[in-house]
Amino acid sequence: MKGDLLEVCDAVVSFAEGRPAVDRASLSLTCGRVTALLGPSGSGKSSLLRAIAGLERLEAGTVRFAGKTWSGDTVHLDPEARRCGVVFQDYALFPHLTALDNVAFGLRSGSSAKRRELARDRLASVELAHKAKSYPHELSGGEQQRVALARALAPSPDVMLLDEPFSGLDRRLRAELREATTHALREAETAALIVTHDAEEAMAVADQIALMNKGVIVQTGAPDRLYLSPVSETAARLLGDVEAFITRVESGRASTPLGALAAPRRDDGEQVKVLLRPEGIVIDRASADGALAQVTMRQAAGGSARLSLRLENGREVSARVPVTDTIRAGDAVRLRLDERFAVVVTA
Amino acid sequence: MAVSDIHDDAAEASRSRGGFAPLWGAVFVALICAAPLIAVAIVAVTGPWTDYFGHIAGTRLPVWLANTAIVGVIAVAAAGSIGSASAWTVARYAFPGRRAFEWLLALPLAMPAYAAAYGWYDLTQSTGPLGGLVPVVRGPVGAGFIFAFTLYPYVYLLAREAFASQSSEAYDAARTLGCGPIEAFQRAALPMARPAIAAGLALVVMESLADFGAVVHLGAPTLSVGIIRAWAGEGSVADAARLALVLVSLAFLIFFIERFQRRRARQAAASGRKRPPRRVQLSPVRSALAIGLLSLPLMAGLIIPMGRLGWLATHSAVGRDLGAALWHSVQLAAISGGVAAILGVIAAYALRTRRLPAVLAARLAGLGYAVPGAVAAVGVLALFGWTQDGMDAVWTRLFGMPLPVLLSGGILGLIFAYQSRFAAAAIGPAESALARITPTLDGAARTLGAGPVEVAIRVHWPLIRSGALLAGLLVFVEVLKELPATMILRPFNFDTLAVTAHNYASDERLGMAALPALLIALAALGPMIWIARQMTRSERLVRKEAE
Repeated sequence: MKGDLLEVCDAVVSFAEGRPAVDRASLSLTCGRVTALLGPSGSGKSSLLRAIAGLERLEAGTVRFAGKTWSGDTVHLDPEARRCGVVFQDYALFPHLTALDNVAFGLRSGSSAKRRELARDRLASVELAHKAKSYPHELSGGEQQRVALARALAPSPDVMLLDEPFSGLDRRLRAELREATTHALREAETAALIVTHDAEEAMAVADQIALMNKGVIVQTGAPDRLYLSPVSETAARLLGDVEAFITRVESGRASTPLGALAAPRRDDGEQVKVLLRPEGIVIDRASADGALAQVTMRQAAGGSARLSLRLENGREVSARVPVTDTIRAGDAVRLRLDERFAVVVTA
Repeated sequence: MAVSDIHDDAAEASRSRGGFAPLWGAVFVALICAAPLIAVAIVAVTGPWTDYFGHIAGTRLPVWLANTAIVGVIAVAAAGSIGSASAWTVARYAFPGRRAFEWLLALPLAMPAYAAAYGWYDLTQSTGPLGGLVPVVRGPVGAGFIFAFTLYPYVYLLAREAFASQSSEAYDAARTLGCGPIEAFQRAALPMARPAIAAGLALVVMESLADFGAVVHLGAPTLSVGIIRAWAGEGSVADAARLALVLVSLAFLIFFIERFQRRRARQAAASGRKRPPRRVQLSPVRSALAIGLLSLPLMAGLIIPMGRLGWLATHSAVGRDLGAALWHSVQLAAISGGVAAILGVIAAYALRTRRLPAVLAARLAGLGYAVPGAVAAVGVLALFGWTQDGMDAVWTRLFGMPLPVLLSGGILGLIFAYQSRFAAAAIGPAESALARITPTLDGAARTLGAGPVEVAIRVHWPLIRSGALLAGLLVFVEVLKELPATMILRPFNFDTLAVTAHNYASDERLGMAALPALLIALAALGPMIWIARQMTRSERLVRKEAE
């Protein structure tokens, strides 16, 4: 199945009058690769996932898998016919069935003994063989998540859809399960889509990220590229902090209080926005060049410290320094811009 | 009663320690509810043995038992399918008129089973308008169907709540794992709602076993009839009590099976957050089909029998003293409803403390619903008999003559019996109303300087008012329909609508029985509409909150 594609084209999902929940979204998933759908809550991520699974009908657009139309103008393949494994946000384990029976639920071919054996294997692969006879309420949150994953993977689906699969778990467990889950997904060689609102999570698990806001997919690409070359301020903010400076292009360069950078393919006089990641603000105490700024606040943030800085024009920006740096509130510093972390977009 | 079970689990979750805790009150409620049953057990063991039991053991008893079984099985099977199918349709699909059906489907509870039996029997007997066209509604099979159509709302209400609050993701998960809509319903949605359906069915079967009027009229005497025959025909309270004990054992068996089911349900409800399902819009053709199917139980349980009773009433003479009977019925129902609402709130408060004696007492009171009316009445008779004997003895020693008869049943006895049977119905709504009041709310009021009583008055009462009203109205409707206990305990020349209707019907004067039967249904319909709408509304609120 490697190389098979799930293609979503201009999908529209709407529930009531007003703005559609998903507005002409396009997305493609490849077998063996994990895609993260990242966006704030209410941005339509889950609705898009449910539409791919066939749990919602498309108002317009198509969902096609390996050349076959799943959803279209006149077509709506029922969810049970799509071979989509879904891990729901609250796991949706059947409370009346044991962990093993939950995993065996979707297995339909072969003798009952064979199905149970397969389910047992699946359960073992998520390291829960010893919990086969437990009911969902007897499992911890992390165990429930793993049963849900095993259940969705058991019928060997072509596409795996995971709706905020780690949101109910505490931080440490989340990191652990994230790794195990991505491993299992890559091993299964399915086309996987993970819905999340956590940028860090999306970057950690995905080969490709699709950014979604207000029902619209604003940008798709590899995590690093998205971080460094967002197409808009919205896209940039979905992945992390960013400073935005509105300016005009002069002689092919866009200037900011921290310095100028090249603005290729922009006309002189055009109004643009310079987006700058905190890592792109370089602090230099010794140099006489660069913009003068005063540190107004220092906040610890693990291995680094977050600084709030006031520029001479009154504008506040924030930057990060290693926790070992001794800069403190009240210090005067010089700032300059690192072009690698800056990008020029249309204002 | 249905509502008593509905928010039980939610109540469980938010019980607090401390605060207003009338332990004695709970014990008092439990005593009221349990005393008649204990009296029945004592009389059954210690009462004089006549040859009555030996006499019926080989003749009538097997018939009563067989009828009880047939009636119960048919009522359970039919009410179970009607109730859960209609609940699923209303909870999961969108079609024109759905909101009206949501509460309309609960209304057949306003129709007493015996009144429906009069109407249906008259329609289908050989001289009736449907005579020859459909099988005559009579015998244990006919009675089973009458109970199914008048009592299915118990299953409907509980199942609807269960389906509506079920996370739609379980159903969706089943769909993505390869189940079609029907298979997903059978393998995911239905098993998850099974405890709620079982609770509804337990109520259906207990009411069917407790019925007297319908089974007598349809010629399918059950154990309940036997109890009244033993008391009225043979004049033997002890034999009545012995039969009552058999009936109660059956009822308790069902009650405990149901409780056992719900123990698992509590666990089942514990996993997963809830995402309320969005309803699936039906096409016009399917909408018409759904409306047609949902109309059937409503027609069979309420509209058709009511229409026939109305026709009969307008074509027959009006019996004497109907006005007085109506007044008696409403009076008894109103007093009992008021008392039950108060007792229910007291028991709910006791439950809220979570203290073991209080919880035991309140749960003991809850058992009362499994005690059929005839049994409660026999118990009250025995209790009053002993009390009278005791007071006589004292009086004779003091004044040399027996005490004038004070306690021969009467209104007080009736209210006592009603409470013992229906107070359980009032605990549930009060409990679920109190469950909304979280311990932090109490804490907030207390830290703002309010004492426990002030908290109860200024914070709790405004919040539980509608729950208490719901409890009172439920008991009002039940007492209005009640027949066997009323027959045994009513004072001489004190007829209620139910007794009047039953007496005319037993005299083969169905025409004259129609008006009092219709009046009961009409008097119960108003409160029932309020109850049904109130329950629908609170369910919608819960749904909105979840969204």
